[in-house]
Amino acid sequence: MAYTPQYYPGSTSVAENRRKHMSNNVEKLREVSDEDVTAMLGHRAPGTDYPSTHPPLAEMGEPDCPVREIVTPTPGTAAGDRVRYVQWADSMYNAPSTPYWRSYHAAINHRGVDPGTLSGRAVVEARERDMELIAKEQIETEMTCPGLAGLRGCTVHGHSCRLQEDGVMFDMLDRRRLEGDSIVQDKDQVGVPIDRKVNMGKPMSSDEANKRTTFYRVGNVAFRDDAEVIEWTQRIWELRSVYGYQPK
Amino acid sequence: MVDSNSVSGKKKPIQVEIFPQRVLMPDTAEQLLNAIDKVQGVIRMVIQGPSLPNRVACGPGAGTPVNHPDRRIINVSGHAFELNIRLGRVQVEIEDRSVKEKLRQAVDEVLPFPFEYREGFFIRRKATLTDYAKYGFKSKTDESINLDDERLLGLIDPKAKAKDRICMLEPTEER
Repeated sequence: MAYTPQYYPGSTSVAENRRKHMSNNVEKLREVSDEDVTAMLGHRAPGTDYPSTHPPLAEMGEPDCPVREIVTPTPGTAAGDRVRYVQWADSMYNAPSTPYWRSYHAAINHRGVDPGTLSGRAVVEARERDMELIAKEQIETEMTCPGLAGLRGCTVHGHSCRLQEDGVMFDMLDRRRLEGDSIVQDKDQVGVPIDRKVNMGKPMSSDEANKRTTFYRVGNVAFRDDAEVIEWTQRIWELRSVYGYQPK
Repeated sequence: MVDSNSVSGKKKPIQVEIFPQRVLMPDTAEQLLNAIDKVQGVIRMVIQGPSLPNRVACGPGAGTPVNHPDRRIINVSGHAFELNIRLGRVQVEIEDRSVKEKLRQAVDEVLPFPFEYREGFFIRRKATLTDYAKYGFKSKTDESINLDDERLLGLIDPKAKAKDRICMLEPTEER
């Protein structure tokens, strides 16, 4: 029988959403073009070649190594791309993804990534074209609500602020804003204006955000609502603290 | 903000904080501040919230103008000043407890969503050592702080420049 990974315990909607993000079984909600993603990331001009740090691996003549024979390089590695990052801030007010879950999504479902998780933001570093693929995947799917999450390479302040009157997460650099009923972004990750207005689509309604979130939160689904999660959290805490995390 | 119409040495002032469920856009902030200012018995207030900077402060885009559309001039009781924050909370000193309920009603009429309303001590009234270092004594014989209006104490950070941060609202005819 084929093994099916069991990513996360629990029976609540939050636990189910966490499993979805980890297994990449996420619903696509919007369409953003490759050029728009490139412009918003701000690492290179849309339409230009990927700058490289070394020649393509095929031209380099790699040393004889059994591991290199087993592992197929990612497209970015094979082409010698630079390592670049995508960074997100997600609102504590029931944004679809928590910082950890963006990292889990990248680390479980993609190769050659270096995710970093902080309290209010998640950064993923990878070869440029691999990173763009991950960024596009996260932008277009239910992992992101354009109103409650934002691409923020710097000045990430906002994830723990109260929402604005219009229900959008605060952004002091005004990278994206609500125009009409859609979120529009006209700056890149670091606040430099870009030559286009990228339509990120409608922000989620409060009910939809509550349904799709991976945040445990009193007022929606509290952490204490899920007995199985509590049980496993306590079990892992006990194993790692009492036995030095050496289950035998 | 200091209301020079409402000075009273006899009554015992109290302080309240208005903490809305959402951070306010400039139009609502303008309405709220005007509504608070119209309440008889308001002595001074402090507004707080995350800042809307002029320029990107860090990262590869440092120095780029932000041009935030919500960083704009608002008008409170005929005085124009630049709102360079997203208004998150307002702390108000009022003459006595009888003003508290009137203030709550005024805020309730303006804010379209719930808010927390609590009494406490938010704006200090006594000079600290840092204030003395900044303003000095009145004279060699008078060791009180060298400030014409002691209501200015506690309104801004001692190291901040008062210009553009404090707004004095003059009394108006209809009061």
